[in-house]
Order: sequence, then structure tokens, then C-alpha cells
Amino acid sequence: MAEKSEASEEDTTGASVAAQSQLPPPDILEIEPVYEALGHSRRRYLCYTLLESTEWSLTDLATKIAAWENDIPEHAVETTQQKRVYVSLYHAHVPKLVDEGVLTFDETTEKITAGKHAEQVLAALEAIGASLDSHQETHARGEMNEQES
Amino acid sequence: MSKRVDDEIMNEEEPTTKSKTGWSQVTQRHYDPEGNEELTTVIVYAIAEARGVSPIEVKSPPLYEVVDVPAIENTFFGPDVAGESRQSVGTVEFQYTNYLIQVESDGWVQLYESTGTDDPGLD
Repeated sequence: MAEKSEASEEDTTGASVAAQSQLPPPDILEIEPVYEALGHSRRRYLCYTLLESTEWSLTDLATKIAAWENDIPEHAVETTQQKRVYVSLYHAHVPKLVDEGVLTFDETTEKITAGKHAEQVLAALEAIGASLDSHQETHARGEMNEQES
Repeated sequence: MSKRVDDEIMNEEEPTTKSKTGWSQVTQRHYDPEGNEELTTVIVYAIAEARGVSPIEVKSPPLYEVVDVPAIENTFFGPDVAGESRQSVGTVEFQYTNYLIQVESDGWVQLYESTGTDDPGLD
């Protein structure tokens, strides 16, 4: 009886160790916000802008994204173009990124800053950007380089 | 009631006449899956029109807190596995503040407001 119970105890322990070693490390599960955040072109633009500056007003971001999407300089963005982007940022993309911890959004000032997952998302964006969305990558990079020089 | 000119699909039901008990249609807007505007933008513009305000004044609550609009966009208008637009025919409806919003698989967004017949009323 005693022998038997010892043996089964060993089995249980052995099995649970094996099962545990098959689980992915917790860090890997944290990658979901990255996929969610980068699953839409406007959200990728939003993330890119964080590489450039740590704080943005929603209005400025909308202008910038409208300029990018229409491939025109920011001063040429029409109010209607800017409004359309603003609305989709306000009602869909910004709250999504806030939910994923990538951004923080102050509803009173409408200022956007980086959230706790921003660094992880930006690293992933930089890693995949060139191959998945080379036009956007070149575009964002080009503009950043212009401002740096 | 505005007429749909670009809808040539033969339908048993009259597509232009929308009536729901307790709700009256306020406006409708068309979402074009091939266009630049997102479904979210189209819906917010319809709400703004119904309220008589600028779309950027539609703030609280954000649509995101009510329904996942990009998910609806993907459900009806996203590409299928073969890369072509989905063929489903259907309608998704949800409430946003005092409005009932319907998104149809042909891209039409209908916005209704309560006729208030069930409300006791304050005046």
C-alpha cells in the first residue's frame, strides 16, 4: 500500500513538472498587446509618432496621420481630412491602444503619451516594419530623419 | 426618407423604408469598404448629423466603449481567406446613447432615435 502510494505520488509530481515545462514563459503571453496594437495601419502610425515625440495632442496627431495617408505635407491637410482621422482615432484606435497599455490619454487635455507597453510595441514595430509595411516605414523614417538633420 | 440610388439588388423587402416600432429613422450614411473612411468615422458622422453638431464634438462615450466597430467592419467587409470581400447578407444593430444604429452588410448605416412613446417624459 505504502509503496503504491509513493509510486503514484512520484508519477503525479513527474507529470506536473513535465506539464509546467511545456507552458510558454509568461513573457510570451504578453505579446498579445503587440499584435492587437499593430493590427491596423492607423495604430501603427500612432506608434511611430511615439518614436518621434513622447507627447502629442490628438489634433496634431490627426493632422500628421492625414498627411501621411494622403501623402501630402501637413499644411496641405484639409479640415475634413483631419476631422475624419481625428474621429477614428478618438472613437476606435486611441481607446484600443489605451486598453492595450500602449498609450495613455488625458481626456481633458486630449494629450497622448506612451504607456507601459509602448517600448515593447515599438521594438516589434521596428523589427517588422521594414518587411511588412516598407512604404510606411520609409515614410515615417524619412520624416524623422528630416527633422533630426 | 432619402432614396438609395446605388442599390440595385433585388430585394423582397423595400430597402428604403425603414421602420421599427418605437424608433424613427433620423439619418443614413453609406460606408464604402474600398474608400478611405473607416466605418467608425461613418457612424460618428451619422451621430453628429443626428445631433446637429460637428463630428469632433461627439465625445462621450467613445464608440469603442459601446461596440467594437472595427470588428463589425471586419465581419462584413473584411477579406475572406481567398482575399475577396465577404458575401454575407445581414445587419448588426446596437444602441449608442439614445440612438439605435444598424450596420448593414451592403454598407448602409441607419440611425434611429427613440420615438419616446414608452418614456414617461419629463415635461
